[in-house]
Amino acid sequence: MLRKRLSRLAVLLALAGCTEQITAPGVCPDYCPGGQIAVVDTIFTDIIGRDSAFTGYLEAHQGEVLQVADLPGIADSRAIFQLNAIPTRVRPDTGDTATVPITVDSARLRFNIVRRDTNATNLWVKLYRLPLGIDSTTTFAQLLPPFADSIVDSVNLSDLLTRPQIFDTATLNFWGDTIQTDSAGHVLQVAQDSSLLLLFDLDTTQARYVETDSGKVAYGVRVSGDSLASMVLGSTEAGRGATIVWFFNYPDTTATPKNSTVSRGSIFDSFVFDPPTPPLDSNLAVGGAPATRSLLRVTVPAVLRDSADVVRATLILVPVGPIPGAPGDSFTVVARPVIADLGAKSPLNPNTAFDGVKRIAMNTADTVRIELTDLIRGWALDTTAATALMLGQLPEASSFSQIRFYSTRTPAFKPTLQVTYVRRYAFGTP
Amino acid sequence: MTRASLCLATLGTLALAAPSPVRGQDSQFGMRGLGTPGRWESVRARGTAGAFAPFDAFSPLLEASVADVRRVSAGVTTATSWRTVDFGNESGSLRGSRFPAFMIAGPISSRITVAGGFSTYLDRTFGVTTRDTIDVRGNPEPVTDQVTSDGAVTDLRIAVAARVHRRLALGFAIHGLTGSTRVSAIRRFDDSTTYRTSTARDEIAYHGLGGSASAMLDLTADLRLAAWARSDTHLRADIRGRTVADDDLPFAFGGGVRWRAGSEAVLAGAVAWRSWTGGGLNAHDTFNWSVGTELGSPVSPVRFGVRGGQVAFGPGPKAPTEFGISAGIGKQFSGGRGRLDFALERLERKGTGLTERTWTFLLGLTVRP
Repeated sequence: MLRKRLSRLAVLLALAGCTEQITAPGVCPDYCPGGQIAVVDTIFTDIIGRDSAFTGYLEAHQGEVLQVADLPGIADSRAIFQLNAIPTRVRPDTGDTATVPITVDSARLRFNIVRRDTNATNLWVKLYRLPLGIDSTTTFAQLLPPFADSIVDSVNLSDLLTRPQIFDTATLNFWGDTIQTDSAGHVLQVAQDSSLLLLFDLDTTQARYVETDSGKVAYGVRVSGDSLASMVLGSTEAGRGATIVWFFNYPDTTATPKNSTVSRGSIFDSFVFDPPTPPLDSNLAVGGAPATRSLLRVTVPAVLRDSADVVRATLILVPVGPIPGAPGDSFTVVARPVIADLGAKSPLNPNTAFDGVKRIAMNTADTVRIELTDLIRGWALDTTAATALMLGQLPEASSFSQIRFYSTRTPAFKPTLQVTYVRRYAFGTP
Repeated sequence: MTRASLCLATLGTLALAAPSPVRGQDSQFGMRGLGTPGRWESVRARGTAGAFAPFDAFSPLLEASVADVRRVSAGVTTATSWRTVDFGNESGSLRGSRFPAFMIAGPISSRITVAGGFSTYLDRTFGVTTRDTIDVRGNPEPVTDQVTSDGAVTDLRIAVAARVHRRLALGFAIHGLTGSTRVSAIRRFDDSTTYRTSTARDEIAYHGLGGSASAMLDLTADLRLAAWARSDTHLRADIRGRTVADDDLPFAFGGGVRWRAGSEAVLAGAVAWRSWTGGGLNAHDTFNWSVGTELGSPVSPVRFGVRGGQVAFGPGPKAPTEFGISAGIGKQFSGGRGRLDFALERLERKGTGLTERTWTFLLGLTVRP
């Protein structure tokens, strides 16, 4: 019995030892510890060095989107794409060994407008037939003739967007959602992600079926408008490439000709623009197509490693000038650490938690500040980490816009790092 | 109760006590000093406000009293306190549970007894939270700072006591001061999106040495006098092997008188003086006194006591003061082989801009297998 009581007592002691509340409001300095939590803010001007720009990471045809713009005095950018081949002959019935040729009636071309300037007025989307064989070497100049004389169709997107939504049962059954259409048969749908799906109905003169080409066709897209003529189309790399549906018929040995369809996607898409991106110079370039990145090597100061806790770190970059582009447009610069410093081929850290991201508005030359707090904190703790970061555009090779920052070759405007840190607390002294 | 079960109970209690740092009673006054000096008192002595500490073998104050331990015995003390701090315009409530003392003693000959154990020398457990607005990059940024310290400096004591005469007992002890505190300083910015929380953590190790001597004289069969003196050297604070502070520790002395007024009434009084002024800017020499009584049979006595004096650390030129009253009961069991003691203490400390009030409940277990 007594043993039980003692056991209960021991449990009681243990429970009593578990409860604690030791923190009270402090009235300083009399009733606070002697140490101070001191915050220091410093701009380190000499810790970034050996900075360089490299280009050619991604070509325009490898980008996630295709930029289309007509910005007089700034840039003229056009999307181009080639659609895949279709079978030129079909078996009329299951089990037939003989094939018959197809006769194309028409086609429906669809592409995805990922982004556009919603303030644009009288925005026309124009479709041009291009010669087959376009590839990554195709230049803006090479495509000037077909873009001048081979217009296939055009649609006033601004007008189409004002058209009433059609949502009768037959429309919903066929299209799966409401549509907007015009008298020329252009159809506009709003996708679930708010991007626009634009469809062109093309006859045989607009969608020329050439049997010897196996039905391959290539098109280009331009835009024009009263102002702000700029949009971004989806590419095959992002799963948003242009598609075409061919409507055709073929003879049947036992009945009337049969109708059928076949759908094909793009086998190549890209965008060409003028003027081309200027060559690299002594500055740090980011963005454009082909994609350009800039590598910055950082020497983490001893004070940050030994006796400080970084609470905020900001990379400060001074642009050489405004970035030409559509008014109201912007693009994203990301500062991403490298896993190993191998110069231009430095592999980037896949952990995006350390990235610093900054949205940069076009046509401004404001100083760019990129928050890198987590990255600098990590570097201060990990002395084995490669302390270099790569500046790149997000997404890459998806815009003709390129920003250039002054490098360390221009001492007055070179990249700097502003760090706010807390000095090591002086424990142990009353 | 068998001897084995008593041993098991003792070991169980010790096992529970061992993982928790040994700490005494915290105080905000010790924050700007070396800490809050512990009370070298058992629960029995605490029930009399410390007046019986010089005469209580299980109070780690005076070694000579150990000479009265004629069988191997062990005692452990636990304490739970509820504390309110009042700064005038701000206040807070705190709670803490501690195992401030353990002691084991036994004779090695008919005249000599040895004892060992630990007690709190300086409590270093505290935490403060402050709000402020600082200027960072030209903008005002509200912040919340939290500085905490969790740990204590422990007095490890090995004592030898001898009854050199039937009226006189002498005692000597060496003290190893050791312990550590886990400390942290955290600054949180209200704008946690832009500014990360800064956290600094460390562990401070403390080292020091001391020695003490004491004597206990029975003037008559009912009147006993006690005197003690203790000198501690320095308290060295190390962080990762680097000494960050080295402070003088006090010389202290004190005494007490106990009068057995009858078979069921004992009165006692004690005083102590400590020279803490070497311990830094906010340190003060202290004088403390206490009087108390134990009434009733030794099997289940009732105790009362009053104490007063000064607190070793506090801002300003004048030492903060303290005043407390205590009460307690005890209960022997198993024919005196075990004893449970309970005590309740109300203490008030006053200093520049701060009044601190504490309720402390103490539980002590003494076993004699």
